[in-house]
Amino acid sequence: MSILGRVVATERKPNTPHEFHFWTALDSPVGIGTIVKVVSAQPVSGALPVVYGVVVEGFGYTDVETPLHEVLGYDGEPGGDLGAPTRRTEIRLYSAAVLRHVPEEPLQPVSMGTVHLASDEDVAVALRMDGYLTPGANTGIPVGLYRSGATASPVYLDADFLLGPEAAHLNISGVSGLATKTSAVEWLLASIFAHFPEKKGRVAAVCFNVKGPDLCFLDQPAAKLDDADRALYERLDVPAEPFKDVEYYAPYTAKGYALNTLRSNEALAHNVKPLTWGLREVLQYAEVLLNKDDVDAKADALIDFIKERVVDQEFTDPKYLTSAHRVQSFGELERWFRDLLGGMEKQNAESWRTHHVATIRKVRNRLTNISTRCRGLVTDDGTVSDLPFGEFRDRAVYVVDVANLEADAQDLIFSRIVSQLREHLEKRDLGVEHVIVFVDELNKYAPSDGPDTYVRAMLLDIAERGRYLGLVLFAAQQFRSQVHRRVVGNSGTALFGRMDPDELATPGYATLSPATRTKLSTLEKGQLLVRHPHFSQPVFVRFPRPAVLSGREGVERFPQAPEQTLEEAITRALRALDNTVTLEWVKDAVALAEEEEVLRARNRTLQAKPEDVKAYFRAQLKRRVRSEATGNPPRQPLKKSPTDDPYGF
Amino acid sequence: MASTYDFAEGGTSIRDALRALKNASIPGDEPGSSIVTAAGPALELTPADTTPPRLEPVTPIEQQTNSTRSVGEPVVAFAAFLDGIQTSHAYYAEGNSTPIVHGTVAAVIRQRVNRTLHTWRSVPLISHAFHAPVALLTPRLVARFHAANIPIEDTLEPGDAPDERHPMELLALARNAVQRRREALEIALAESWTDSEKEPLFIDGGISAAGRASQSEFSVGVVKSHRTLYAAGDSLKVITGLDEGARTTAFEIRPKYRSPVASWYLRLRDARGRDPFFGLVRVEVARASFTSERADEVSRWILAERSPVSLPDKRWSTMAYGIRDCEEYLRALV
Repeated sequence: MSILGRVVATERKPNTPHEFHFWTALDSPVGIGTIVKVVSAQPVSGALPVVYGVVVEGFGYTDVETPLHEVLGYDGEPGGDLGAPTRRTEIRLYSAAVLRHVPEEPLQPVSMGTVHLASDEDVAVALRMDGYLTPGANTGIPVGLYRSGATASPVYLDADFLLGPEAAHLNISGVSGLATKTSAVEWLLASIFAHFPEKKGRVAAVCFNVKGPDLCFLDQPAAKLDDADRALYERLDVPAEPFKDVEYYAPYTAKGYALNTLRSNEALAHNVKPLTWGLREVLQYAEVLLNKDDVDAKADALIDFIKERVVDQEFTDPKYLTSAHRVQSFGELERWFRDLLGGMEKQNAESWRTHHVATIRKVRNRLTNISTRCRGLVTDDGTVSDLPFGEFRDRAVYVVDVANLEADAQDLIFSRIVSQLREHLEKRDLGVEHVIVFVDELNKYAPSDGPDTYVRAMLLDIAERGRYLGLVLFAAQQFRSQVHRRVVGNSGTALFGRMDPDELATPGYATLSPATRTKLSTLEKGQLLVRHPHFSQPVFVRFPRPAVLSGREGVERFPQAPEQTLEEAITRALRALDNTVTLEWVKDAVALAEEEEVLRARNRTLQAKPEDVKAYFRAQLKRRVRSEATGNPPRQPLKKSPTDDPYGF
Repeated sequence: MASTYDFAEGGTSIRDALRALKNASIPGDEPGSSIVTAAGPALELTPADTTPPRLEPVTPIEQQTNSTRSVGEPVVAFAAFLDGIQTSHAYYAEGNSTPIVHGTVAAVIRQRVNRTLHTWRSVPLISHAFHAPVALLTPRLVARFHAANIPIEDTLEPGDAPDERHPMELLALARNAVQRRREALEIALAESWTDSEKEPLFIDGGISAAGRASQSEFSVGVVKSHRTLYAAGDSLKVITGLDEGARTTAFEIRPKYRSPVASWYLRLRDARGRDPFFGLVRVEVARASFTSERADEVSRWILAERSPVSLPDKRWSTMAYGIRDCEEYLRALV
């Protein structure tokens, strides 16, 4: 073990139990983030203490007392005197933050000793990974490779502190456009799926694709994965391959023909499924969409009444309603409102069951408007196509593509899916014991300021209580300082990619040294600063390029399908169930049907997944008889009037 | 050269020595009693009673005496630099005005490899010793030194009368003794170099006392102080009027008990607007190997050492950076 440097302490720069200083040769491979080991020269209680630290600051200076001396030495000519026969004495002095003392007690200032580069084993001890990498009880999840000089040591996160129950959640910060955040999550999910111990239970991931095609090609192999990346995969023991089990969910477009996703190429359609909800599903989360300023307590009471007493049951009111109603869709709700308000008008009633007519009109307006605002997601007819709650598969990724949706619809989808996950995890019937929910642009959903929204409250709830349930939040954002502090504060693990210098100037990064902040602002692609509960100090690691096709390359390789006609859209949807369905057959089947009816038949068929797709689809359409050409009846010739007798009829 | 005392515990500092003296057991004396007390800062920081400045007539060894000549463009040639330091402190036994001086001396050769200076043979020479007029110390104190296995170097010459003397005079004797020990270390190093290496060595100071090294063609002494000026009459004007990069004609110095050397003055830096000794050094080389061409050549070597500047040392106009490096290196150790 070669000596890299020596600990030095002066009155001006004393060593403490948490920080020490050392000098090295000018050409030593030490840099910011390097992990070093100090072997003390002074025994304590009969043993030589060993201290591990990570370099957080570096200083270099010469024996020149003031810059003026250097100027004098060069006669004021910066380019002069290049041939000086001797280099000035120069020093490299580093400050390191202590990662660990061995033994831990008594905790003393770091004493004089020799400094060495940390080996693989040293890195494991320094980061306290030795506590969870024990054979038989290994809960390590590789997060990347720590590199310094000739050392390249895998760094592991503790699954118990990443996915619960000890701690949980992961937060990633980094500037946009460097593919760090999404790439890091894709890599980490692959690592979790490869290393999460089976005895800890099954794990799946639900990823919300909130922008562009970022997560649209997780099941496709990467276009380029160089030898260095493959070496990293091999070293970290993670297969360099795309995710094997991925399902995509996306609502329809407003027109309702095709799914609203950039993954619309027919070659990838096999695992893209519609995400549609009816009245019942939406009404549970109506408050997500209804503005609190708009819907007051009175309106809230009426919505509750509708949820409890009207929806999904026989509702009669002979005094005001012309008939019994069974409200199961937005269409039926609209008919119920129309009937009720008509009855009230007839009787000139101002209120119905304590609800004022103005309140009823307002609630009608807001609720029925939901299906318009979230067109494509919310169906008038109540057709539901949802994530397979209760049948989640181990190591599967469920991507919900909300990138092209309005903010309201995104909020609704997020709230409902997360709530469903939570409910099923509480009941232990989701199909897996751990679910990772990945959300990008967290500063949009859980901002540190602004109104208290349903989505933010839900994210706070996950952050604070999710780990007990196995509901784990992996969240990413550009500006961590703009995210609610309780959300980031509850993230046990934090990753930082290249950061914006302005962001680094905010108080949240004050614990990082200026040199570490500088390194963060110039970090290369594929490098991360990792903070984890077991690590006393954050460490820099390198991770491989994800083994999946990137969004940008994906849209080039799998261009978006051109806009389809109704028949083409139906053909494509039904062929996912029955590949004998042809465009000609569809054209013939829907020739006489209304567009709305055809779409409803498609939705029902997709939901039912019948054995005989064609028959089932036809059965959903109203029977119509083709008009037949009939011959004109023979015309009776008009009697001719006598030309000479005007009265002669 | 090993230190003049060494303890089983391995310590050689003045504190180690004082502790050993304090703990030394001698009959009729209480162990642990205070033996000596420190008195003031290092002696090197106080003005020394030096000989007055003087002019010394010389014997020219080049034709065209009292002339100057430009030596040409600097050439890098020195492979190493030699210098030594000393630090001494005075102590007094209780009730006794006789000073006991503890002196630490050190010397080092810093070898230049790839423009970076390294310690030649990886070790400097360091030596510690007490100096005192032993005859003027109490027998009990001398016994305590013996018991602690710490030798005292006697500052009185054999045959000197052990009369009471002025303490300042005794201090000066001790100080000279420390200086002689430092010079001994420097000579030992210089001889080691010239015995084994075949490259030029830049020695801080004169070389006439450097034993075998004074006769070596690889020894070059550079003297920065000019309390003794080897000039008289017109030659003084020549020296003080030297231009940058020019030298005087050489002369011979033949001191008593030392080796004769060839010497000349060289102006390292432009002294216009400054005192006449700014950037002025006197060079010494072995007399036997002297030629005019060699004087020019050696002068070019020295000129090359003007950079980097050895600021913030006050002697920067005449001090080579390699010599400053030797001093800094030794200060860090002593």
